[in-house]
Amino acid sequence: MKKEKEILKWLDGELSADEIADLKQSEDFDTIEKIAHYASHIDTPKINAEEALAAFKNRKLTKKKTKVRPLYFSTVFKVAAVFVVLLASAYWLFLNSNQTFETGIAQTQTFKLPDNSEVLLNASSKITFNEHNWDKQRDLTLEGEAYFQVQKGKTFSVKTTDGVVKVLGTHFDVKQRDNYYEVSCFEGLVSVTYNNTTVKLPPGKSFRVINKQIEKTDDFDAQTPSWLQKESSFTRVPLNQVIAELERQYDIKIETQGIDTSKLFTGGFTHTNQKTALESITIPLQLSYRIKGKTVTLYQYEVQ
Amino acid sequence: MSDKKNNLCEESYFSEFYIKNVQSATNFAYYKSGDSDAALDIVQDAFAKIWENCSQIDYTKVKTYLFTTVNNLFLNTVKHQKVVMAFAKDTPALDKTNQSPEYLLEEEEFKIKLQNAIASLSEAQREVFLMNRIDGKKYREIAEILDISQKAVEKRMSGALKTLKEQIENI
Repeated sequence: MKKEKEILKWLDGELSADEIADLKQSEDFDTIEKIAHYASHIDTPKINAEEALAAFKNRKLTKKKTKVRPLYFSTVFKVAAVFVVLLASAYWLFLNSNQTFETGIAQTQTFKLPDNSEVLLNASSKITFNEHNWDKQRDLTLEGEAYFQVQKGKTFSVKTTDGVVKVLGTHFDVKQRDNYYEVSCFEGLVSVTYNNTTVKLPPGKSFRVINKQIEKTDDFDAQTPSWLQKESSFTRVPLNQVIAELERQYDIKIETQGIDTSKLFTGGFTHTNQKTALESITIPLQLSYRIKGKTVTLYQYEVQ
Repeated sequence: MSDKKNNLCEESYFSEFYIKNVQSATNFAYYKSGDSDAALDIVQDAFAKIWENCSQIDYTKVKTYLFTTVNNLFLNTVKHQKVVMAFAKDTPALDKTNQSPEYLLEEEEFKIKLQNAIASLSEAQREVFLMNRIDGKKYREIAEILDISQKAVEKRMSGALKTLKEQIENI
């Protein structure tokens, strides 16, 4: 289409008289002019606006009213919301502040309780206690093994799935693992409750439960648990418990081949050298081991 | 202008808006459907929507809202059909001074061709072309109403003209 720009401008009424005269001179403009002229005379339904409006108003129409809330109303809500948030956070901060300490494999952690009692957490262990209530109730829950140096004061309870230990102010170690529960007293007096039996332990005494059987234990004369010196020591403990402890301290998986793991073991292993540790267990029992990745297999030396 | 805000809910302001736009909105519906009865119904429905939602509609956009609503209602209710439009009975010939029967017959034939050509336009081209021709709306205004760019309006206009010219000259 020739002069398209001009034609479009003309239709939009933006062309001056001179320009229109120019445009009219151009060839085959007459068709365009006719189109433009006749198209504007197409009949459309003529609306009587007033009548249509009257008909429109006869319809039953309802405005959707936007609810107008006075400003102070929302302010009240805002203030209330702030209070709710404050109360909720205060509750969490002061009333329901359950504190948790947890260690992974081959980790230990030392921390202080609100009354300055000290806790040393051995590998793969977890302690939970309520910080806010500590003044009234020195209660904590233990999974795993921990050594406590408790400040004198109200009764201090250590709850485990196997039993409850209650003290007033002492140094003691609690070890609760699968099918194994041992409490050793290093200072003061410790009261252990297991299945309705309560035993009082003076320093150098232990209370041990293996596979739900209370075991007789020998006295010891160590001042602190051996694991504080990065060693684990055992006196007449089934081999499977020793192996479980080894796995916790070295992040390895131990398998056994043709070995009676209920055999009792007396001895210890270090936490700092895996080779030495493995040897400290295998040599006294006349075992051998091989390492494949993170898996260690123990087997009878003679068999191979 | 800000004092007019929300006045859409005020009956007098709404009536004014209604009277101002009812004809061109009906025309718009008519360009789309070619059905003069349905056109006004659709427009009344569209106005009803505006009245119902008067508090939520930006008064500067209400015209666009009106035409968009007409368009949507049209899509919902009217089946697409060939839109054949009639000319007003008193349509004057382009050359008013020439009253020779030959000329008048020629012009009548042209009108029939144009009628068919307009029916063959796409909906988008037809509504823009007729809003300009019949309602005398500027491209800028059409662009605003349809919520498209002025360039798009011009493109549709030029496309419509081209199609019309070709159809008329070929038949």
